[in-house]
Formats: sequence, structure tokens, C-alpha cells
Amino acid sequence: MTTRSASPGPTRRAFLRQGLGLAAATGMGSLLAACGSDDDDNATTTEDGPVTITMWHGQEDQAKETIDKIVVDFQSKNPKIKVEASSGGVVADSMLQKITTALSAGSYPDIAYIFGSDIANVARSPKVANLQPYVTKPEMKWDDFYPAARDAVTVEGKVRGFPALVDNLCVAYNKKVFKAAGVPEPTAGWTWDQFIETARKLTDPGKGVFGTGWPADGGEDCVWRFYPMIWDLGGAIVDESGKKVGFDNDSGLKALQTIHQLGAEKLVYPDTKPGSETMYQIFNSGKMGMVATGPWQLPDFVDQKTDYGVVPLPSYSGNKVTIAGPDTWTVFDNGSGRVKGAVTFLQFLTESSQDVKWATQAGSLPLRQSTANSAEWKEHLQSTTGLDVFSEALGYAKIRPTIRTYPRLSQPLGQAIVKMLLNKGTPEGALREAAQAANDALATG
Amino acid sequence: MSAEPLRRRRRGRLPFSPWHLVLVPVTLVFVVPLLWLLVSSFMSNAQINRFPPTIIPDSLHIEGYRYVVRNALFPRWFLNSAIVSLAVVVGNLIFGVLAGYAFARMRFRGSRLLLAVMLGTLIIPFQITMIPTFLIMKKLALIDTLGAVIVPSLVTPFAVFLFRQFFLNLPREIEEAAWIDGCSRLRTLWSVVVPMARPALSTVAVLTFLTTWNDLAWPLIAINNDHNYTLQLGLATFQGQHRTQWSAVMAGNLIAVVPVLVAFLAAQRTFIQSLTSSAVKG
Amino acid sequence: MRRLSEAGTAWAYVFPACLIILGLGILPMIWSFILSLQVSDLITPPEWIGFKNYEVISRDPHFRAAVGHTLVYTALFVPLVIAAGLGLALLLNRRIRLIGLYRTLVFVPFVVSATAQGVLFSFIFESHFGLANAVLRWFSIPPQGFFTDEHQALYLLVLIGLWSGVGFCVVVFLAALQDIQEELVEAAALDGAGRWATFRYVVWPALQPVTIFLLVWQTLQALQVFDLVFVTTRGGPLESTTVVVFFVWQQAFQQFNAGYAAAAAYVLAFVLLVLSIGVRFARRRDT
Repeated sequence: MTTRSASPGPTRRAFLRQGLGLAAATGMGSLLAACGSDDDDNATTTEDGPVTITMWHGQEDQAKETIDKIVVDFQSKNPKIKVEASSGGVVADSMLQKITTALSAGSYPDIAYIFGSDIANVARSPKVANLQPYVTKPEMKWDDFYPAARDAVTVEGKVRGFPALVDNLCVAYNKKVFKAAGVPEPTAGWTWDQFIETARKLTDPGKGVFGTGWPADGGEDCVWRFYPMIWDLGGAIVDESGKKVGFDNDSGLKALQTIHQLGAEKLVYPDTKPGSETMYQIFNSGKMGMVATGPWQLPDFVDQKTDYGVVPLPSYSGNKVTIAGPDTWTVFDNGSGRVKGAVTFLQFLTESSQDVKWATQAGSLPLRQSTANSAEWKEHLQSTTGLDVFSEALGYAKIRPTIRTYPRLSQPLGQAIVKMLLNKGTPEGALREAAQAANDALATG
Repeated sequence: MSAEPLRRRRRGRLPFSPWHLVLVPVTLVFVVPLLWLLVSSFMSNAQINRFPPTIIPDSLHIEGYRYVVRNALFPRWFLNSAIVSLAVVVGNLIFGVLAGYAFARMRFRGSRLLLAVMLGTLIIPFQITMIPTFLIMKKLALIDTLGAVIVPSLVTPFAVFLFRQFFLNLPREIEEAAWIDGCSRLRTLWSVVVPMARPALSTVAVLTFLTTWNDLAWPLIAINNDHNYTLQLGLATFQGQHRTQWSAVMAGNLIAVVPVLVAFLAAQRTFIQSLTSSAVKG
Repeated sequence: MRRLSEAGTAWAYVFPACLIILGLGILPMIWSFILSLQVSDLITPPEWIGFKNYEVISRDPHFRAAVGHTLVYTALFVPLVIAAGLGLALLLNRRIRLIGLYRTLVFVPFVVSATAQGVLFSFIFESHFGLANAVLRWFSIPPQGFFTDEHQALYLLVLIGLWSGVGFCVVVFLAALQDIQEELVEAAALDGAGRWATFRYVVWPALQPVTIFLLVWQTLQALQVFDLVFVTTRGGPLESTTVVVFFVWQQAFQQFNAGYAAAAAYVLAFVLLVLSIGVRFARRRDT
């Protein structure tokens, strides 16, 4: 009887183990041919030998095509550097999660598209390259980048990547809606009071028309619109000490009151669906008069054949103020050979002649002042309505601080703004709660 | 108690069973997204983005389909998903049946504890376990290959547990008869129990296939190169950060969904027991 | 003798499942537990703090709210999805024309991706222009906030979860119903049992094992609901739909607070453990 167990047992076990091994090996083997190169080849590259760098650009569609063309161009001029650019499997939104996993597992690309609000945290990793020695070189023309773009990639005084994209916030308005309501189009230098008044005149509950819109999911698109308001009133996101928020005062209060007024009088469409798309769909369908937005939305307006115009953001003081949300090509350290290769590629990518392609084809703004002054860009400005307003705003746009605790500050603030948009609670109460939670977050470091 | 006599007994008022009157509205509730997918896949992007949304396409726009089909990698993604899902189904059917049968019919020390531990591995949510799983897959050099998507799901506690429950329900007499007749355990399992458990096999096959087919979160982390994307991952890249090719997304989803539904429909026969053929009236 | 060989064979049978499930499951569980004892952002070297995360989390009102939301969702979802699944399975368990088609179509929500569902339902329940409010308006019911109303959003998610999850229960129940032997049903009929009695004494007991499976499975799924929240509300409005796993994701991947997130995950695990031990005790007392 024992023999009965001895023979089927081990053979079956062995067979199953074999089968499992076979399955794993088949999975591996059959597709190793197609898979991109990854880590583990940094040990053998020397400074001057051929290098392969991987880039997760997180882009799709038009932007992806633009990058692909630039890669081909680069490789023809730099045969020793092979660039494997892919979206990395994610679109920019999910990149952070993927990079975090990649970093903790030690298997990461050379370049990745990281949002400006995330780089402060990502850069804390010892695996992020320090590009300081490269950017001081004159051929880099580092100062040619707009200040906002430069600041966005500098964390604690060290440069960790190249600027990838700059944008800023201006107000787009639907000319048809304005005409139908008999309201004169807004002009630069307008105030928040005028904004509210205009929204009031545009809002028509009977026809289902809203004066304006604001993302109400509590995310970054909801929060970053708040900052130009407090900056204008003399506030700051973080005060000089860096340990407390800089809007726990009249600047924050007044800003929240403005938003509260929009919400309480139902002049604003609070877009609770993540992604802010609904808001723009409503705008394009002629059910919203105006909305603060970035240059990336202009191609959409053109596609939908909306008759739109663009003006700078309103302010309290009449000054020009707006916010930029630059994104970065963060460089990771897979060995000095690959870092050098990555820097060479990024230098090419952000050089004026490529930058202008990226700006015009991918719907971005120029990263460099020289690009903005180029004839190609000036010509492009003529082709798209409102792009000149955004382009000009780059000169005075400010950015969020690149501090590690920023996400923990942004979240409670987002909830406060959503409360105002949905008309729940008072500005004082909301500000107090948000400031409290944000200060706690800042205190942690 | 079969359907035959009922048809004859009908009062002759309706040319079909009255149950259809109940089933149609109920089913319609579930079918709504499919209809919406179908309709919007034939709209232009501009029309999809209209607000309030319109239900009837202006005209038949096939830009969405063209975008999908023109994408050189779409067939590759489809193939990848098919390979992954089929591999996972086969793995779960073979190893799940074996384990489920052992848990249901055999007594061995620690079986209850083992089952509990297997289910226990499901307690920690994916968002956390995906990182150590990524680490393990990296050590096995499977990252960025289909293996990384197949191996973690090759056997699942779901399959083991479900098979166990189904096997518990099967009448022991037939098995024991074969056992007494001198069949080995394995042969009994293969030629007696498994045929009786066809509904269970079909159920596990279908559910495992679909869960794998629709999985986005893990392939997103495990795969980098666009040649290795699964279908859902590929379709997700149609959705940009600021702009989405909605008609393409809808068309892609439809192309992803329809073959699965058709296969499911065709496989309905395997859901019916071969030995017992009655329908139990509710 | 037979028992010895039985144990050996049994282990051989479960070995591959053990290899994959435990091999790939135990390590992550240990890793996650270690993570919960650290302050970590997954990017820089972690710092050991023992059980401090658990201490802080027990006082965290956001986490407590998340647990509350999760329990409400689970308590509503699980019984409803099983009851609805059983009802639909009984309805679909008959031999009429097109029954295969009906069964397939009931399954559609399961086949359609979460993203597509998210877009669909955001459309339908959009508070100003959506279909749902349009229908309500037709019946002279005032428009509802749905996803913009923090008192309604969670219940709306239960509804959507039911809609997409019931197909799963239907398929499992249908398969189990096929296993019920005709003879037993006919014997009951001969004994004069009506439909209800047949159901209660023949069908229902036979469905016990799969019902238990579905109870366990759906409870696990409900306690870990994430995708639905992610594509529709992102935990809002005003954190009213933040469930535990969403809280975990936020902490780990937005707030760079992965150690804390792991602690939250383990608290959930602990709750589950307590629940299951409690259930085990209850059942032992019955038998």
C-alpha cells in the first residue's frame, strides 16, 4: 500500500513542478524578443561606449508621435545613443504610481515624465540623478528656460531633470454664450468682482447655463486655481519659515469667500467627475460662459468648433498674476554612462528647434525664451486663438513650491475648496480646517 | 417538470413563454452599457463630447474604428490578452481542480488551515501587494513580459475555493463506485468527477477568463513596452491626460467585449449538465 | 494505509496551488507587515517606528470614516447581491427560447471595463444634465445631487456595484442549480411539495456550499472595493465615498505615506480576521 503512494506521489509532483517551470519559461522566452531593454545593463557601459536609454514619456496620440519623430532625428545624429521611448504603459496620470513601484523594486527607466507637484518627493530617492554639474555648462543655455520651468525641476537647489512642459492658467470664454446673454467680453486687467458680476449675468438656470466651472474633485486641478488668488492678495502657499502655510490669513479667506460666492449663488458648475472633462464638454456645448483653463485645452475647443476667446485671469489688485504647472523629464541614475546619454538626449529634445516642434505639435508652450521669440512659434501663435495670451503669461507665471510635503498640504485645501463650491459650510470654517491639516503636514517635515 | 409540457399547456394567448415579458426588461437593464458602447462607437468625437449627451449618432462615423484598426499594435494587444487569459484559465482549471478536489474529498492534516491561509492571502489589498509582487516578478526576470501577468494568476484562491464547494456538492456514490472498481484517484477524478462538474468548470473558466481579460491595474505596473500591452492596457493609452479619443475608446471596448460575449453565448451548452437535465422552477 | 496514501496524494494535488498562491502570497503579506512598522515613502530608505502607525491610525478620524463607509457599503452590498443573484439565477434557470442570450446579456456588466462603466455612470447620474435626473423630472421628483451629494454618493455606489456584480453571482448560482438532481425535485413534487417547499427543502440546502462561497467572496470584494470609487468619485464628494482601500491608495501613492497605508491595510485585515473567527464560532455553535 505504501508503494501506491510512493509512485504516483513524487512523479506527479515532479511533473507538476516541471509543468510550472515550463509555463514560466514559455512566458519568458517567447516574449523576451519583443520586450524592451530594462535595467541590468548599466554595469557594462562605459562613458564613451554605446548606450541604450529608456524613456517613459507617458504621452499618447499627437504628443507621442512628436516624440517618436524627435527620437528618430536624435538617433540619426547620435548613433552611439539608442533611445527606447514608450509611454511606459501609463498615461501621465498613473506615472507616479508606476515610478514609485519601479523605484522601490530597483527597476526604473532613465527618463520619466513626472508632474511638477510630484518631483519634490520623487527626487528624494537616491536613484534620481543630480544634473547640477551638467546644467552649468554654457552649451546647455540653462538660463534660456523660463524661470518657472527652471524652478520646477530644481529641488533643494539641485537640478533633477529637464523641463518637459509648461502651461499656465488663463480664462477662456464662449463668445456665443456671451452674445446670447448680452454681456460684453472680458478684457485683461479685470477684477474678481467683475468676474462674479459677469458670471451672474451669464448664469441662466432656466436654460441650464452656468457662468463658469471649477473642478470639484479635490484634486490638483481643483486646488491650483486657488493660488493665483492668494498670491495676488499677498499670501503665499508656504510662508518664509517653510513650517506654516502662507494663506491662513485674509488672503486665503478672501479667496475662499469669492469661491463661496460662486458656489452659493450657483454661478459655477462643480465638476465632481475626476478628469475635469465634463466641465469642458459643457463649455463647448454652449452651457457655460467662461472657464479658467490651460493651453492644452485649446485644441479641444478648435475641434469642437467653439467660438472662444482667451483673457488673462482676473485679479483683486489689477496686477497680472497666474500660475504655471510645469512638468518634468526626471532623470534617474542607472549608471553614469546612461545619465550622460539621457542628458544628451534631453538637451536635444529641449533645444529650441525641437522645443518649437513639441510646443506647436503637442499643444504645449515654449520652454525657452528663445523658442518663444522664434519665427516658427510666432507663426503658430497666429493659427490658434488665445495662444498668445498664454504665451505672454509665461513671463509672470509663478509655480507651486517644490517641497516634499506639498501633496499633504494640497489635499485638505482641495476639500475646503470643494466645500465652497458645493456651498457647504463657511469660508472661515473651511479655511481653519484646511490650514490646520496643512500645518500639521508641514510640521512633519 | 420540463419545459415541454408547459408549452403545450399554454392558454394559447401568447406565442411565446410569458417569462420573456419578465426577462426582457430585466436583461435590458444590464445591457444598457453595451448599447451605449455600440452607439457611441459610431459617433464622432465631437458628438460624444456634446453635453447633454446625445443617444442617436448623427450619421455612422467609423473614425473610432479606423483609429483602433489603424493602430498597428491593436491586433498584438488582442493576441496578448488572449494568450494571457487562456493560460490563466488552463492553469486554474488544472491546478484548481486538483486542489479543490483534495480539499473537498481527501482528509489530510492541516487542510482547513491551508485553505484558510490561501484565502487569507487575499486580505491585503492589491495596492499594497503589487509592490512585493513586482519585486518577485523582477527577480524571476518576468517583468515586461506576458509571464508577469500570467504567473501570479496561474492558480487563484478563487478557483480552488469554488471547485472545493462544487465538489462538496457532488454525490459521492458515483465516485466511490469507481474507487471500489479499482480506479486510481487520478483516474476517478479525470473520468468520473470532472465530467460531472462541467458547470463548475465552465463557471471558473468564464469568470477567470473575464477577470484576467479586464484586468488593468496589474498589467499597468508590470508591463512597459507597448508590444507587450494587454488589450485593456492598450485601450487605456487612448485616454490622454487632457484629450481622449473617445470614439476610439468606445470602438476598442466594443471590439474587446463582443468576441467574449459571443464565445460566452456559444459556450452556453457547456453550462448545462449532461447527466441531470432538468430545470428547477423558481 | 489508505489514509497515509491519501495524505500524500492530497499534498501532491494541492502542491501547485500552494506554490503559486502561497509562494506569491505569503511574501507580500510579510513585506506589507514590515512596511506597516515603518515610516516609508517607498522612495527613500525607511525608518523603523514599531507600532506607531497603528497608534496614529486608531486616532485618525479620516480612517475611521473610511472604515465606516466600507462597512456600510459591505453591509448593504453583500446580502443584496446574493439575494439578487439567486433571484436572477432562478429566473434564468429555465428552458425557453433565447435563454442563452438572456444569460449572456445579464453578464454584460461583468465584461465591460471599469473605465467604460465609470464614464457611463457619470453620464447617467450627472446632476444637471444626466439621464437619471431627467427621468426623475418626468415623474415630478426634484433633481438629486447623486455624485455631488455627500449623503447619496455612497448608496449610489452600492447600486452601481450591485449592477455590475450580480452577474457573477448569477453564473455561480446557475451552475450550482444544474447540479441539483432531477430525481430529488421530482420526488418532492410527487410528495405533494409546492414550489416554495421544494425550494426550501431541496434546492436551498443544495445551494449551501456555493452560497457560503459567494458570501465569503463578495464580502472580500466589498471590503476591498476600489475601482468603482476610483473611476467615479475618487473618494468624494467631501470624502463621503472614501473607502479603506482608496484611503490606502491615497496614502501610499499620493501622500507618499506607504507605511501608514500598509498599517491601514492590516487593520482591515485584522477586522476581517476577527469577523471570520466570529463566524466560525457562530457556526460551530449551530452544529
